Amino acid sequence: MNIIETQNLTKSYGKFTAVSEINLHVPKGTVYGFLGPNGAGKSTAMKMFLGLTKPTGGAFVINGKQFPGDRVQILKEVGSFIEAPAFYGNLTGEENLDIIRRILGLPKSSVSEALEIVGLTQYRKRLAKKYSLGMKQRLGLAGALIGKPPILILDEPTNGLDPVGIHEIRALIRSLPQQFECTVFVSSHLLSEIELMADNIGILNHGRLLFEGTLDTLKSSAASMGYPTDNLEDTFFALIDADNRQRGGVR
Amino acid sequence: MSFGLELRKVKRTGFLPAFLGGGILAAAVPVLNMAFRSEIYVGINAAPVNILLNANWQIMSMFNILLVVVGACIMYNTEYAEGAIQKMCTLPTKESTMFFGKIAVLIAVSILLLLIETISVFGCSVHWFEVSADLYMETLKSFGFFLLLMLPTVFCALLIASLSKNMWIGLGIGVMCVFAATMIPSQNFVLTLFPFALPFQTLENHTADVIRNYAAAGAVETVLIALLEIMILKVRRSFE
Ligand SMILES: Nc1ncnc2c1ncn2[C@@H]1O[C@H](COP(=O)(O)OP(=O)(O)OP(=O)(O)O)[C@@H](O)[C@H]1O
Ligand SMILES: [Mg+2]
Repeated sequence: MNIIETQNLTKSYGKFTAVSEINLHVPKGTVYGFLGPNGAGKSTAMKMFLGLTKPTGGAFVINGKQFPGDRVQILKEVGSFIEAPAFYGNLTGEENLDIIRRILGLPKSSVSEALEIVGLTQYRKRLAKKYSLGMKQRLGLAGALIGKPPILILDEPTNGLDPVGIHEIRALIRSLPQQFECTVFVSSHLLSEIELMADNIGILNHGRLLFEGTLDTLKSSAASMGYPTDNLEDTFFALIDADNRQRGGVR
Repeated sequence: MSFGLELRKVKRTGFLPAFLGGGILAAAVPVLNMAFRSEIYVGINAAPVNILLNANWQIMSMFNILLVVVGACIMYNTEYAEGAIQKMCTLPTKESTMFFGKIAVLIAVSILLLLIETISVFGCSVHWFEVSADLYMETLKSFGFFLLLMLPTVFCALLIASLSKNMWIGLGIGVMCVFAATMIPSQNFVLTLFPFALPFQTLENHTADVIRNYAAAGAVETVLIALLEIMILKVRRSFE
C-alpha cells in the first residue's frame, strides 16, 4: 500500500516549471530516497506535501487524505524538516520543542525523548540562535521526530552534520520503520547516502522523475542502458548527464 | 491555548519590559505635568479627568501607539528571523490562529498599559483636585473607550508586521502611520477614523452622538482589518 502517492504533480513559477508532472509511489513502512542535483525540485515537491506551497497542477494523496481539504489531518501525521532548520532564536532548544509539543498535543515527556534521540539533551538549555550549525540541524530533526509521527518528510537531514552525526542520523532513519512503524521520505544529493538508508529511490532532474524503483532495479536498468554500475555515484551522474544532454539547450 | 503559546514565544525579546517600562513612562506624564505646573490646571472649571486628559492624553496615547507598533514587530520578528513560521505552518494549526493568538497578547498588554495610565490619571485627580462622586465612573468609562479605540490600532499594527519578513520594513511603515496620525486634525471626524489616529480621541471632548459613532467605527474597523488579514493569509500561500 502506498502511503504517499502523486498524480502528475506539477509546480510552475511563471514560465519556469520546478516540478513537472511527477508520479511518486511511496510504500508504507519503508524509507524512500528522493534524489536529485541542486535545483531538481526536491524541496519544492516536499513543500507541496506540507501545504507550504500550492501545486499548479496534478494532485497527491497522503495516507488516504487529500490537500487542501484534509490539511490539518495530514499535518497531524507528518513530521517534517524542510531545507534549513526553522526555530525561535530567542528560545532554548527545549522551549522550541515545547512549542511544537503543545501544538501537537503531546505529553511532556516527548520533548526530552526527542532531545535524547538527536543527542541534544546536554544543550537543551542553550538558546537556539547560539547553537552550532549541526546543533540547529539536530534541533530541526528533533522537531520532525517529536511524537513519532507515522510519516516523516526530511529534506537533506544530514546537511551540516559531522561524520559521526551523519552516521548516527542515517542509522536512525534506517531504523525508524522497524522501530516506530513509520514511513520516511528523505531527500539527498548523494546516491551513496541514499543507498545506505533507502528501500526505494526516486531520481529527479530538472523537475522530472527519471527513475523510480528499488536499488537493484536501478542497477539492472542502468546496466542494460550501458551506464557504469560498479560505482553507484557514477551511475547517478551518467543518468543525470544523459538526461541533461537529451534536453539539449531547452532546459 | 494559543494565547499562552504566543506569550511564550516572546520570551527574552524585551516585549514585556518594553510595555511595562513604556506604561510607567506614559503614566509619569500627567504626574510630572501636575507636579511642576499644577497652578495652570487646578483653576480650570471642568471635571478633573477632563482637565488631565486634555493636558496629557496626546502624549500618553502617542506612547501607546508606538509601543503597540513596536510590540507587533517584535512578535512577528521572532517568527521570521530564524524561519520559525515555516515550521509552524507545517504543524496542524492555522496561520490565522497564530495571528489571533498574537492579537490576544497585544490586547492584554494594551490593557496593562491603559490600566497603569488610568491609575495614574485617577491618582492625579485625587491628589490635586476635589474628588466628586462620579470620578470612579468617569475614569472607568474613559478606560473602556480608550481600550475600544485602541483595537483598530492593535489589529492594523499586527497586520502590517505580519506582511514583511524584514522587521525594519514593518516598523518603518508602522512608525510612518503613527506620524501621519499625529498630523490629522482631531476635529475632523472622517480623518480621525484612520486606525492609528483613533486612540488620540478622548471621551470628554465629544457629545454622546459622536462617541457612539467613534465606538461603532472602532468596532467596524477591527472586524474589517481582521477579515483583511484572513484574506491575505489565504492568498499569500498561492504566491510562495
Ligand atoms: N519561490 C520560488 N520562485 C521561483 N522559483 C523558485 C522558487 N522556489 C524554488 N524555485 C526554483 O525551483 C527550482 C527547484 O528548487 P528546489 O529548492 O525544489 O530544488 P532542490 O531540488 O531542493 O535543490 P537543492 O538540492 O539545492 O536543495 C529551482 O530552480 C529554484 O530556483
Ligand atoms: Mg532543497
